Amino acid sequence: MSVLPPLPVAGPLAIAGLLLAGAHAAPPRVGDVVALLTALAASVCCGWMAMDAANGPLVYWFGGWQPRDGLVLGIGFSVDQAGACFAAFIGLLFAAAIVFAWGYFDTVRSHFHVLMLLFMAGMIGFCLTHDLFNLFVWFEVMSVAGFALTGYQLRSSALSGALNFTVVNTLGSYLLLGGIGLIYARMGALDFSALGRGVATDPGDPVVLAAFALLACGFLIKAAQVPFQFWLADAHAVAPSPVSIIFSGAMVSIGLFGVARLLWPVFAAAPMVHAAAGTLLLGMGAASAVIGGAMALIQRHIKRLLAFSTVSHAGIMLIGLALLDRQALAGTLTYMVGHGLVKGALFAVAGILLATCGGIDEIGLRGLGRPIWPAGIAMGLGGLLLAGLPIGLMDQGISRIAATAPVWALAAIVLGAGCTGGAVLRVTGRVFAGMGPVAGEEKRAPTEEEREKADRPLWLMLAPAALLLALALGVAFLTGTLPDNAAAQFMGGATPGPAGAERPFLSWISLSLALALAALDLFHHRLMAAARIATRLVHPVSAVLQAVHSGVVGDYVAWVVVGLALFAFALS
Amino acid sequence: MTLLPWLVTAWLLAVGLYGIVTSRNYVHLIGCVSVVQSATYVLLLAAGFRWGAGPPIFYDHPPGTPAVDPVVQALVLTDIVIGAVVTAMLLALALQIHKRTGTLDPERLRPLHR
Repeated sequence: MSVLPPLPVAGPLAIAGLLLAGAHAAPPRVGDVVALLTALAASVCCGWMAMDAANGPLVYWFGGWQPRDGLVLGIGFSVDQAGACFAAFIGLLFAAAIVFAWGYFDTVRSHFHVLMLLFMAGMIGFCLTHDLFNLFVWFEVMSVAGFALTGYQLRSSALSGALNFTVVNTLGSYLLLGGIGLIYARMGALDFSALGRGVATDPGDPVVLAAFALLACGFLIKAAQVPFQFWLADAHAVAPSPVSIIFSGAMVSIGLFGVARLLWPVFAAAPMVHAAAGTLLLGMGAASAVIGGAMALIQRHIKRLLAFSTVSHAGIMLIGLALLDRQALAGTLTYMVGHGLVKGALFAVAGILLATCGGIDEIGLRGLGRPIWPAGIAMGLGGLLLAGLPIGLMDQGISRIAATAPVWALAAIVLGAGCTGGAVLRVTGRVFAGMGPVAGEEKRAPTEEEREKADRPLWLMLAPAALLLALALGVAFLTGTLPDNAAAQFMGGATPGPAGAERPFLSWISLSLALALAALDLFHHRLMAAARIATRLVHPVSAVLQAVHSGVVGDYVAWVVVGLALFAFALS
Repeated sequence: MTLLPWLVTAWLLAVGLYGIVTSRNYVHLIGCVSVVQSATYVLLLAAGFRWGAGPPIFYDHPPGTPAVDPVVQALVLTDIVIGAVVTAMLLALALQIHKRTGTLDPERLRPLHR
């Protein structure tokens, strides 16, 4: 039995406690330094375990409660390559967010860092655990830390965003708990392997299917997939930028990681679940990719735009999961890390705009980004990567997903990547190059006055963004067969499916779509006819989409019920 | 095992969700979230209950006598702790919103648009 697995979770928790206890005595920068070192140490520890896990998962039973005669009483961590790599990525993302937030939260002492460490410990525990209820506990630790971090600034829009986020996600947690109750009632076990064996004995049991529906809905609310996506933009747009980096970079994909854990260790032997997942999850992923992309395109609040692009890319990841194929899973895991790195960098640039230009409205900031052009390069590169630039981790992921995806799902992927990339490129052109003149009605900014504390040097904020982008590009040369091995281990040694088709044109199609969309908006005064036709086509759709995203929590919960009904229908 | 606890669970879930969807006041809405949560209490306790069994404490009767499942009771305890944290958090947010805007109506508190 290895002693490493509990360390990256227990360590940050203990240090968070010490930081909180010493918050009033410690000098001002201690919180930053300690939290940064802790995040890096957790990341290194998880990376180390990922290498160790190449020959089989590292198993740790808490309190020495090892299973006897096949009966599992204890709670275990089982660290496989996929979980360890994802946890290492989470540690790294937190380190970047903490550097980005250097001195940002001085007025609240170390409380911000305490919450960040709790948040990180919850996420890493989620990746490493091998017990369904334990999974729920880490999920909840992560959620509560997230709720508190969102409403941190106590502005009224941040508060109502945090309330929507809390209500919808708490509801998701209760659905999850209901699913756990149902499956425990039938199986009498909570360990993934024991549950997997239990499901294999009676795969068509309606109670088991109902449990799957509730569990999957709980995770998909966290992953913000259509029709559960509404809370995400409200929360990610109003959270402080360092927190948004984590939300969009890691918290959304962690919900999908939960779905993957359901599909393989737990429900691997239930053909009905896999059949329903193959159609329903594929459809939900495609819908999220398209709707997220369309919503991103019609935003002018830059953080809200990035938040919707997260919905879209999480949809692409869900497509990858729903293909139920080893190669596609390897692609999805790669894409989660690649997208997290790129989106983290983009939110860091949004934070730079808030801090140095004193605003986040795309139209209001037109041309104001010129003095901080290096941030513009980072944003442009991020936009190109979102759009499918054929280099880096995201491209590696998408090419594996695309190899086995049906054509209509490919269309959704292209639309999602093209629209989100186009939206980000449009913002880059307008803010950092002053393109796209605006007149009249558009000048009126509908958003409230926003700015973030501006006492940090530009290089300190830009360094984490540059590092994340460099990783998204550079790590791709080092992965080798790691994604395939990790996916095989994740699926319990599944044999690889038939080799899919190479689709080298996909990334070029989405890239040209993105450039065309950005150009259409920025140069619409030169392309009168085309712009007028596009506006006439887009306007009714955008009006409907805006009306549906009403900002009222009751409406969101009604959509959650619709999603539950969809699951019930697909599994019946 | 009777059907009653499962029906109660479904009923609590349904009325809680209905309350959240139609609520016009955040304090009322937070109460409805708690109602949804109590559905999970009933579900978990029903899953571990056995007729005629005692509490799972073997201090004054010998090990081996029938007892209800202690695991679900531990789960419910965790659930209660989580519920308390989330409700406190939500009420604190609602209080701050009321201080800043003077209203608790979700319809009038939409987060920013566009």
